[in-house]
Amino acid sequence: MSEGRRKVVIVPCSGIGKTYGTVSREAAYEVTEDMRPAQAQLVALSLLVLGDEAARAAVAGSPAVTIDGCKLACATKMVEESGGTVARDFAVLDVYRRHRQFKPKGIAELNEAGHELARVLAEEIVAVVDSLSRDDGGENA
Amino acid sequence: MPEFLETTVDKFIFRVATDRYYNSEGVWAQAEASRLPLGEGAGVRVRIGLSDFLQQRSGDVAFAEVQPEGTLLAFGDEVAVIETIKADISLAAPVTGRIVEVNPAMEIAPEVINQDPYGEGWLAVMEASAWESDRARLLDPQAYFLEMKQEAEEEAKRL
Repeated sequence: MSEGRRKVVIVPCSGIGKTYGTVSREAAYEVTEDMRPAQAQLVALSLLVLGDEAARAAVAGSPAVTIDGCKLACATKMVEESGGTVARDFAVLDVYRRHRQFKPKGIAELNEAGHELARVLAEEIVAVVDSLSRDDGGENA
Repeated sequence: MPEFLETTVDKFIFRVATDRYYNSEGVWAQAEASRLPLGEGAGVRVRIGLSDFLQQRSGDVAFAEVQPEGTLLAFGDEVAVIETIKADISLAAPVTGRIVEVNPAMEIAPEVINQDPYGEGWLAVMEASAWESDRARLLDPQAYFLEMKQEAEEEAKRL
């Protein structure tokens, strides 16, 4: 990615104590720290809720991928309320419906199936990040 | 369209449809006007589903597995298991009888339970063999409403 190119913003669910929220965050970490650190950056939902200026600027200036842990869709709603553009919204539940063999359990620590589900979700997010990067002229297309 | 009893507990609104009966866990049973054709049994067709409170407390439904058509069940037997983002929940049959129809939406879009629990989110239709006696064991809408409200308020205090 060339210098100055916008990173795709990843905003996961902030549901603490919720298995699906944990899956959403683990997937977000995988994308932003391991799989596409140069093209994607994580913005904490809690910062958007607090009105943090840097977080709001990040979502306002870049396409966002949101990951919601439940139907309340807080991540998607907060990005929109913060002036951002949601390029793609993922729901952990929808991903699980397509991969029932990976039934997530656990909260602080996911079971192996939960880790697998997070990996599957991360791969789907990466495909979107790559697509957005191509649209943005990214060299990693 | 059914009418509802409604209460607000904390930030949640719970509705109880007044045109059906309930078991204490929140599975509803609604007798249909038409009886089964002769030759298919003389039982009453009873549609069953989850109350608004039960679906909200259970969380988003990922999968719903209803016993197949033809299954004979006694009152209280497991009629379905729903898997939600919170837990796997076993649901008890509110009537004795045979399952004659399973909502096809349960296979492809079980989230309809959350979206429309008293309408499109029904689980199954049972041919109830003892509707009158089963109905006497169920709660009428007002009784279920009071029980549900108390339960919701106690749960809100715990959180």
